[in-house]
Amino acid sequence: MALEAASSAASEYVIRQPLITPRVRRWIVSALLAAVCCIWIYPLVWMVSASFKTNAAIFASEGLIPSQPVFDNYLRAWNEANIGAYFFNTLFVTVGSVLLVTIATAMMGYVLGRRKFLGRGFIFGLLVFTMFVPQGYTIIPVFELLSMLGLGQSLWGVMLATTGGSFVIFVLLFAGYFSQMPDELEEAAKMDGVGFVRTFWYVMLPLSKPIIVTVIVMQTLYAWNDFLLPLVVTLANPAIRTLSVGVYAFKGENFVDWGGMTAASTITIVPVVVLFLFLQRYFIDGLAGAVKG
Amino acid sequence: MPGLSLKGVTKAYGATKVIHGVDIEIDKGEFCVFVGPSGCGKSTLLRMIAGLEEISGGDVFINDHRVNEVDPSHRGVAMVFQTYALYPHMSVEQNMGFGLRMNGRPKAEVAKRVEDAAKILQIEELLDRKPRQLSGGQRQRVAIGRAIVRDPQVFLFDEPLSNLDAELRVATRLEIAKLHRQLGGATMIYVTHDQVEAMTLATKIVVLRKGIVEQVGAPMEPYSNPANLFVAGFIGSPKMNLIDVTPGAGGALQFKDGRSLTTSGDAHNVATVGVRADQLRSAPVESAALTGEVSVVERLGDAEFVYVRTGWGQEIVVRFEGGTDTPVGSTVGFDLSGRTHFFDAGGVAIKGLAVASS
Repeated sequence: MALEAASSAASEYVIRQPLITPRVRRWIVSALLAAVCCIWIYPLVWMVSASFKTNAAIFASEGLIPSQPVFDNYLRAWNEANIGAYFFNTLFVTVGSVLLVTIATAMMGYVLGRRKFLGRGFIFGLLVFTMFVPQGYTIIPVFELLSMLGLGQSLWGVMLATTGGSFVIFVLLFAGYFSQMPDELEEAAKMDGVGFVRTFWYVMLPLSKPIIVTVIVMQTLYAWNDFLLPLVVTLANPAIRTLSVGVYAFKGENFVDWGGMTAASTITIVPVVVLFLFLQRYFIDGLAGAVKG
Repeated sequence: MPGLSLKGVTKAYGATKVIHGVDIEIDKGEFCVFVGPSGCGKSTLLRMIAGLEEISGGDVFINDHRVNEVDPSHRGVAMVFQTYALYPHMSVEQNMGFGLRMNGRPKAEVAKRVEDAAKILQIEELLDRKPRQLSGGQRQRVAIGRAIVRDPQVFLFDEPLSNLDAELRVATRLEIAKLHRQLGGATMIYVTHDQVEAMTLATKIVVLRKGIVEQVGAPMEPYSNPANLFVAGFIGSPKMNLIDVTPGAGGALQFKDGRSLTTSGDAHNVATVGVRADQLRSAPVESAALTGEVSVVERLGDAEFVYVRTGWGQEIVVRFEGGTDTPVGSTVGFDLSGRTHFFDAGGVAIKGLAVASS
């Protein structure tokens, strides 16, 4: 009996209509994601909105669109609070550290990824170990190192210290990428009479473009936004502050200039947003490439 | 005059020896093919000549100069890799001229040599393309072009056709043969596991097994006079039939089913008889030297390969003319007519012995 039922069910195969069509499902998913997105970007929108309000208006809870938009905050931030100068400090630190980090990590990654030498595993282990040491613990020794180098009070010192942030991750990214390149490429270059350094520069480096872009973007974000390290290094010399530290200065002992702070913050994030808009395709390719290899 | 000679060359990775003392002389202008099953050390040997692998023992001479410690780019050799190894981010032109440019040759000279090589290989219209825009065959040409541009004394090919499809492989094989003629005095060394490639291209064949040279000779030499059982079984398609025999009195050799064969000489140390598919002739079952039941028939058009299962369960292959249509399951008999090969218990060929005509 049961067997009969089973066989008849098999022969009369029923096509079940879905409750919701794929199209409707897409709409629902999109709506949900849009809601999450709104929550996600609310703080950012609030910040931009507050930068166009007076301190009083910010606390008047009048909604996101300012009733009487003011631009004073931006002028005050740029001129009085030195954000203009800080902007160029940050630019210097960022560009310098990105250049240093990209070249140094690519070279380290190349050697670690492609050359077999004694102690290679040990170096890898040491590098990975440093990733587990929180930044806060190393700030004092880093500061001391800079002082000993005579860079404790200079923008060069800030730049040099900033290169350390994600150095290890980038080295590992490059090492992973280079280790998967076919040996024949290097051998072909060897047969062509091209030396080790020039093989790196003319053959391997151009092929690692996805990783280079990833490193540039990630290091830019890190250097631009880093707070703790520049705070410590620039403590004694306000003239070499970076933006993130400069924004913090709007918080006085008794009074917080919210309008000025949000305006300065908005100025701070504009370059990063622009950079991402231009490079997002490469950035995503690079990350995908780093995972896929 | 030897273009290249290997003298007692060995290679070891730690304690594992992979090349056991190889001696080969290759004359200028020769097309020498290293052939052997995978893992026989043929590619390692080639890479040692190229300078990509260190030489553990023995000497390599190119044009009478010892090159053991010479940098790959100064040996006067150029290599074509199995995977082509083109630089993906450079155009064809840049790929071909890269080595010359890096070594400081004047631009005009680089351009001229690239152009000349492109003309030989008929890839002039591809010069601006990137490798990914090329087909497998075109990439192969570019890789060869990169070698030609360097104007080497010795070309090294490492299984250059194995990444191409069957049809293209035959076409490219022909082109490489033509190229050898066109380039006049260039010595070429070519590594392959495909014995057809070896026999069609070579002016000298080196058969390798497990790091040992089994036989060196003219292209037909290993086919018509295999030095041992390995070469006999490896060269030729279909494989040579190798049948175990027991020597009897008066030059007789007995098969496992009791049937026998008479030879014209002293056959007391023969352990194996080798006969190719085209050297067996149909004979009446009662008097035939070999009999068996047809198990499979492969029809190739101009020929038919008939697989016959003998009384002792060995499958031997026989070539018939196309259209013979031998029925599967029928019992057939053969005589060993034509060339038959004899090997002793150690697998070494015995010379000067033939099947006595009855």
